[in-house]
Amino acid sequence: MSSSSDAISPSLAASNSGRKEPSTIFLIAGAVLLAISTILLFVTGSEADPARNFSGWIVGVSFWVSIIIGMLFITMIWYLFDSGWSIVMRRQVEHAFAATPWLLVCFLPIIALVVLDPGSAKVAWTWLGHAKMSPGGHGSVEQDVLYQAKSGYLNYGALLIRFFGVFAVWIVLTQCFRKWSLKMDETGDHKYVHWARKLSAAGIPLCAAATTIAAIDWFKSMNYHWFSTMYGVWFFAASMRAGLAAIVLAMFWQSRRDGGLKGILKPAHAYLMGCIMLAFTIFWAYISFSQFFLIYSANIPEETFWYNMRELTEEGMKNSWFVISRLLIYGYFFVPFLWLLFYTNKFGWRIIAAASYILVFHLIDLYWNILPQELVGEHHEIFTRGFSIMPVDILTWLGTGCIFLWAYLKSSNQYRPIPIRDPRILESLNPNE
Amino acid sequence: MSKPYGILALFNTAQEIYHAAESVRDAGYKRWDCITPFPIHGMNEAMGLKRSLVGAFTLVGGLTGFTTGMTIAWFAGEFNYPLIVQGKPFFSFVFPFPVAYELTILLSAFGTLIGMFLTNRLPRHHHPVMDYSNFHRLTDDKFAVVIETDDPLYDEAKTKRFLEELHPAEVVVLENKEEVKA
Repeated sequence: MSSSSDAISPSLAASNSGRKEPSTIFLIAGAVLLAISTILLFVTGSEADPARNFSGWIVGVSFWVSIIIGMLFITMIWYLFDSGWSIVMRRQVEHAFAATPWLLVCFLPIIALVVLDPGSAKVAWTWLGHAKMSPGGHGSVEQDVLYQAKSGYLNYGALLIRFFGVFAVWIVLTQCFRKWSLKMDETGDHKYVHWARKLSAAGIPLCAAATTIAAIDWFKSMNYHWFSTMYGVWFFAASMRAGLAAIVLAMFWQSRRDGGLKGILKPAHAYLMGCIMLAFTIFWAYISFSQFFLIYSANIPEETFWYNMRELTEEGMKNSWFVISRLLIYGYFFVPFLWLLFYTNKFGWRIIAAASYILVFHLIDLYWNILPQELVGEHHEIFTRGFSIMPVDILTWLGTGCIFLWAYLKSSNQYRPIPIRDPRILESLNPNE
Repeated sequence: MSKPYGILALFNTAQEIYHAAESVRDAGYKRWDCITPFPIHGMNEAMGLKRSLVGAFTLVGGLTGFTTGMTIAWFAGEFNYPLIVQGKPFFSFVFPFPVAYELTILLSAFGTLIGMFLTNRLPRHHHPVMDYSNFHRLTDDKFAVVIETDDPLYDEAKTKRFLEELHPAEVVVLENKEEVKA
C-alpha cells in the first residue's frame, strides 16, 4: 500500500492555484479563425457548388463534436461497469467536457444561415429549400415523392428542435459528469459516483439517440433519398475511435507536465487504452463493412448510388473519391488493426503514433461520408462533388479545435489532474495489464 | 529412484513469493516456476518471463482461416462452378467476407487453444509437485517456488541454502516418482 500513497502525492502538490498557461491565446485564435470562416461561409461560394462551404463547416465542427461524443460514451461505459483502471483518464475526459457548450456556439453560424434563409443555395440540407431541384428525383424537392413521404421528419421546425435537443442531451450529460466529479474532489462524498452511475444508465440510450439523430440530420439528410440503418452506428463507432485517440494524446501530453500526470501515468494505462482502441478499430470496420456489404448484396439502385458516388463519375470513370474509399479500407482499418494487434505497439510513442494516425483518418472518414453529393448543374445535369479541401474546412476545423483546446486547458489548469477522492482511484493508480 | 525433481520453498503470502521470485530471477535460474492459487499481478516481470508464444499460434490460425474461406469462395465461384449471381463478379473479396471472417475467428480460437496446450505441455496427468504433502494448500492459500534439478545452476546444497535465505515457511526436496508409478 505504501507505493499507492507515494503515487498519489504529486497530484496533491498541484493545488488549485495551478500554473499560468497561455490558454487564452487559443480562445483568441479560435475566435478569429471562426470569424474569418463565418465571413467566407456567408460571402463566398462557387456558382456550381454553393453549398460546399456549408458542408466543409459541418466536417470541421463534427470532428470535434465526435471526440466529445466518443468521450461521453466511454465515460458512461466506465461508470456503468464500475471500472477501476480508467479513473486517471476520466479526469482528462472531464477537462475536455468543458468544451461541449462551446461546440454548440461553433455550430451556430450555419444554423444562422439556415434560419436566415432555409431555401438558400448555400445550405447543404437541400430538402430545406422546397423549390430546389432534387438530384435523382423528378422535378423540385416539394414535388419529390420521397421528400413528401419523409417531410414529417425532414422539416424546418423539427430540424431546429432536434438540433438543439441533441446538444441539450450532450451538454446536460457532460456537464453533470464533470461537475459531480469535480465536486467530489472537494467534498469526498461518494454519492456523486452513485449519481453518475444512475445518470449513465439513462444517458447511454439518450446519447445513442442523440448521436443517431445528429448523424442522420447533419450528414445523411444531405442526400435524403438514401437510407441506411447502419449510419447512426457508424457515427458512434467513428466517434469512439476519435474520442479514445484524443484521450491517449491528452494523457501522454499530461504525463510530461509537472502537476499533470507526470509520475502517475503507467505503461499499463497505455496498454489498456490500446486494447480498447483496437476493439473500436475492429468495431468501426465491422459497421462500415456491414453497411457496404448489405447494400452490395441487395444491389438495388435506391441504395447503391450512395457508394457509386464515392467511386464513379456519371460516365462510369473512377472519380477522386475512389482513392479515398480504398484508403479508408486499408489505411483506416488494416494498418491500425495490424499495428494495434501487437503487444509492444500499445506503449509509448507507438500508441501516440496510432492515436494521431487515427485522428487524421477520422477527418478523412468524415470528408468521405459528408462531402460526396449529387449536385444539379445549370442545365439540370447531375454531377458528383469531387474531393477538395477548401479554406472554410481548414479555418473551421482549426478554429473549433482552438476553442476545444482552450476549454480543455482552462479546465486542466484549474482543477486537479486526477479525481483524487474517487473511491477507485487507488486501483487506477496501480493498474494491471 | 532417480534424482529428485527439484526443491520447493513454501511461502505464506503473495508479497513474499513475489520478492522471492525476483531473487530467484536475479540469481540466474532458468528452469523454475511459481505455484500460486491465483494469478499475481506483476509476476511475469518478477519471474523475468518473456511474452507467451500463444499469440503467434493465434495469428497463424487466423491467417489460415481467412485464406481458407477466401480460397473456398474463389474455387467454387471462379474455378469449379462459375455462376452469375445478380451480375456480380465470380469472385470478389466482398461477398465471401463473412465466411472468411468466421473462419478467421474459428481457427484463431483453435490456434489459441492448441498453442496454449503446446506451450504448457498439456495434457499432463501428473506432476511431481502434486506429490508434495502440502500440495492442496497451493490451490488455496499457500505459495511455492520450485527450482528444478535440470536447472544448469542447480546444486542441491547451494540451491537449498539459497532458498532458505529467502525466509520461506519450509523448504522441501521433491522426489521424482513418475518412474515408480509407471
